[in-house]
Amino acid sequence: MARIAVPPSESMAARQSGNPRLQLFYGLAALLLLVLVGGLVWRQLLQPDLYSGRERTQSERRLLVPGPRGSIFDREGRLLVGNRARFAVTLALDELHDDFRQEYQLVRKNFRNAADSGRPADISVAQLEQIARTTVVQRYLDQTNAILGRHETLDQAAFNRHYSQQQPVPFSLVSDLTPEESARLTEQLPVGSPLQVYALSARYYPSGPAAAHTLGYVGLDPDARVEELPGDDLTTFNLKGSAGRDGLEKKFDAQLQGQWGGTIFRVTPAGYRVNPPLEKISPVAGQNITTSLDLDVQLVAEEALGDMTGAAVVVDVRTGEVLALASKPGYNLADFSPRLSQATSADIENRHAWSNRAMASFYPPGSTFKIITSIAALRSGAITPDQLMEVACEGTYTISAGQIKRCDNGLGHHGALTLSEGIAESCDVYFYQVGLLTGADTIAAEARSFHLDRRTGIELPYEPDGALIPDAAWKKQHVQRGAWFPGDTANMAIGQGDVLVSPLNMACFAASFARDEVFTQPTLLHNPTAPAQHSERTGLTPAQRAAILEGMENCIYGPKGTARSINQPGMKIPGLRIAGKTGTAQFGNPSARKDIAWFICFAPLDAPRVAVAVAIESDELGAGESLQGGQAAAPVANEILKAWWSKQPKLPALAPF
Amino acid sequence: MRPQRFDQAKPFLTLALVALAWLFVPAVAKRFLRASFYEIQAPVEVTADRVRALQEFWVLKTHTNNELIAAGRETAAALARYELWAQQQEQLAAENARLNSLLSVPPLPGWRYEHARVLQRDFTAWWQQIVIFKGRNYQIPVGAPVVFAGGVVGRVREVGAYTSVVELISSPGVRLAAFVVGDTRPMVYQGGENPAFGSARGQAENVPVDVVATPAAPCRLITSGLGGVYPPGLPVGELVSAELGADGLFKTGEVRLNPLLARLQEVSVLVRLAPEEGMALTPALP
Repeated sequence: MARIAVPPSESMAARQSGNPRLQLFYGLAALLLLVLVGGLVWRQLLQPDLYSGRERTQSERRLLVPGPRGSIFDREGRLLVGNRARFAVTLALDELHDDFRQEYQLVRKNFRNAADSGRPADISVAQLEQIARTTVVQRYLDQTNAILGRHETLDQAAFNRHYSQQQPVPFSLVSDLTPEESARLTEQLPVGSPLQVYALSARYYPSGPAAAHTLGYVGLDPDARVEELPGDDLTTFNLKGSAGRDGLEKKFDAQLQGQWGGTIFRVTPAGYRVNPPLEKISPVAGQNITTSLDLDVQLVAEEALGDMTGAAVVVDVRTGEVLALASKPGYNLADFSPRLSQATSADIENRHAWSNRAMASFYPPGSTFKIITSIAALRSGAITPDQLMEVACEGTYTISAGQIKRCDNGLGHHGALTLSEGIAESCDVYFYQVGLLTGADTIAAEARSFHLDRRTGIELPYEPDGALIPDAAWKKQHVQRGAWFPGDTANMAIGQGDVLVSPLNMACFAASFARDEVFTQPTLLHNPTAPAQHSERTGLTPAQRAAILEGMENCIYGPKGTARSINQPGMKIPGLRIAGKTGTAQFGNPSARKDIAWFICFAPLDAPRVAVAVAIESDELGAGESLQGGQAAAPVANEILKAWWSKQPKLPALAPF
Repeated sequence: MRPQRFDQAKPFLTLALVALAWLFVPAVAKRFLRASFYEIQAPVEVTADRVRALQEFWVLKTHTNNELIAAGRETAAALARYELWAQQQEQLAAENARLNSLLSVPPLPGWRYEHARVLQRDFTAWWQQIVIFKGRNYQIPVGAPVVFAGGVVGRVREVGAYTSVVELISSPGVRLAAFVVGDTRPMVYQGGENPAFGSARGQAENVPVDVVATPAAPCRLITSGLGGVYPPGLPVGELVSAELGADGLFKTGEVRLNPLLARLQEVSVLVRLAPEEGMALTPALP
């Protein structure tokens, strides 16, 4: 029988293909391959964003730059706060990669040689790198010093901190260069040098200390305010911006702040920047603000206050715009730019100069409050303008048995007075009686109707809620054994006791009364087309109002007026008729008594345009000493009005409100 | 026989080997070779300049005698005028020196003029430079300012044995501190990217915000003298635009340079004198 020969290879292949173990191996291999392909598909096709995002996060960085702050102007467009360039020479660390590497090799070689020669060289790689970096940066600093003729030294700790945390941001080697120094560096440094002159923005105050409390100041803000810039998922570095810390700078921080700009760039694995950047968005300057302040009036107000402690407020009667808001002692805003030194800060603290006394200091208004008392008495019908009081002023008034109150004004023997005479001569005895006839609640209600018991709402931060118009309920709640006595009413009638108001409160009151209205909303923003403010009328009849105005006029122009000092030759303002009221309030403990000299006024009398309030604190006074409103505060207001009036020579006569 | 493929690759291989070898050549040798190449190239430029001068000579020879006589008279008149100005200049300098000594004002740094002929002008989008026919043989230093009748030309970048390369003020590599005439606030002038066939231009940065400049009413820029390289008062160009920058602190603007920069024939290198080298001489240009 013949046998068919089968080729050996064919038979082996046939055997192998049918081998179950081999088939299992193929199956496993295919399965593994499928897993790999599946994983690849999953990662590359179904999750592409995850990995491209991770790659982007790892290789891209974002550098944010603040926009310049807006400027602040006075009502005539004069710059009060602007920006100035502060030149600094900076070193671009991301351009020094090769320098650092070469220096590192040199330093390492030197240490190895030292180790070979038997000297100990126990040093880590990180330390070697740090030495190399410091050496390179010091070399650039030496180059800068050679050009400038300076002897600056490297702050090694600051540099190490900057290198580890802010590497893509240029490191500031020397700051506060003068324009001449920056010009020298500009010309003598090679164009391609990693050393570059950089202009930073700092606040600029051309008028120095003028309106310091009102304008406020800025501080460094390490946080970048970015919401709409791309790349918020990237590692971000930012230059320090600024934020308002007080005054208008704080209140209008959102408007003044510029919009941040930024650059997104790629970095090498070592963190060095690769140019050109991938994306760049320019910062945008903040909005400018035009204040209602009149720089001329403000400067005169501050000069008139001089070294005294106190405040002066000038308000436009028609619009409520504040023309001047002066507080003394003050500080020089230029000291805050670029940053306030600890010594200067301590000095301001010691002089108690931080407080804006125009808005945040609350004093008893003294006799200036007699205008309120008069209005309350007339409106309630408690007195008539020509009515003489039961007791003529002989220096004292007996309220009840054992409670005698003095007349603190003038010689204290005013005699029998009408209302206008009582106001002009500021007779306390007259107003004790008016107060008692009117009643505390009526006087308090009148004061509250003029908004003297609350914040003015001016556009300044930190306006305290310190104004106080007391009444029986208040005293019962806040004072131990707090029954309300007739003596309290008498005190309140002359602006003493617990009554507390700020100079700004009183300036607004003067402006309101000038318009025969009860409320003036003060504002620090200038609007040339603003309509005149109007509020509820005082409710005085023309005869009643005329009596008060006559008293306020005679306060200055009457022979016994308490502010007649400003009607003397050399003080009198030609062509301007003023209505005013002085005040001298006692403040503090009897052992450490202080006087507050007040003067409130408005002018011109027949068509009021401007209202002024001045309050001046005395030092601690001894027995028999006093600081009278007519002697201390009225001349300050007079200087302010003189400056204001000198700017209004061609104003047409306006109809009264 | 070697495979044909290798023969074809032989030039590339040689080039690669040479490039590789160049990497290992010491830096001193590289510098020497570069300097030698520059010095060997210089005579070519000198010869080309001489040929150009000869061409101009023969062009002038084509003029009639009358034309040449008229030109000679004009030249003599111009020379006389310049001599008069030079005398006035000397008188003013003497008066200035007298007043300075009366007021005990320290003398300004003195300068020596080295007038040099321009051998070659590279005024293209790539290069903004000229080659002048003076070098180490006249103690021309690297970095020295170069001027002409129209103002600043640029700064010496390289100095050879008897030629020097001057980087023109239109080059992005030149930067200086400048004033607007009548102002004393320094701003930064820097050369810009210049088109191949356009007029030379530069950029001004840190321009004060109150400076207004338009093509119709440009502001003249002069050197400030604050930088320590250029003497004060040399014309730089005209600021023809100024727009507020993103930082809000300064404006940036475009500077139109003197068109004569493209046709320079002679320039002066200002070599700073040592304090003991006599009187101060501040350049004064018309």
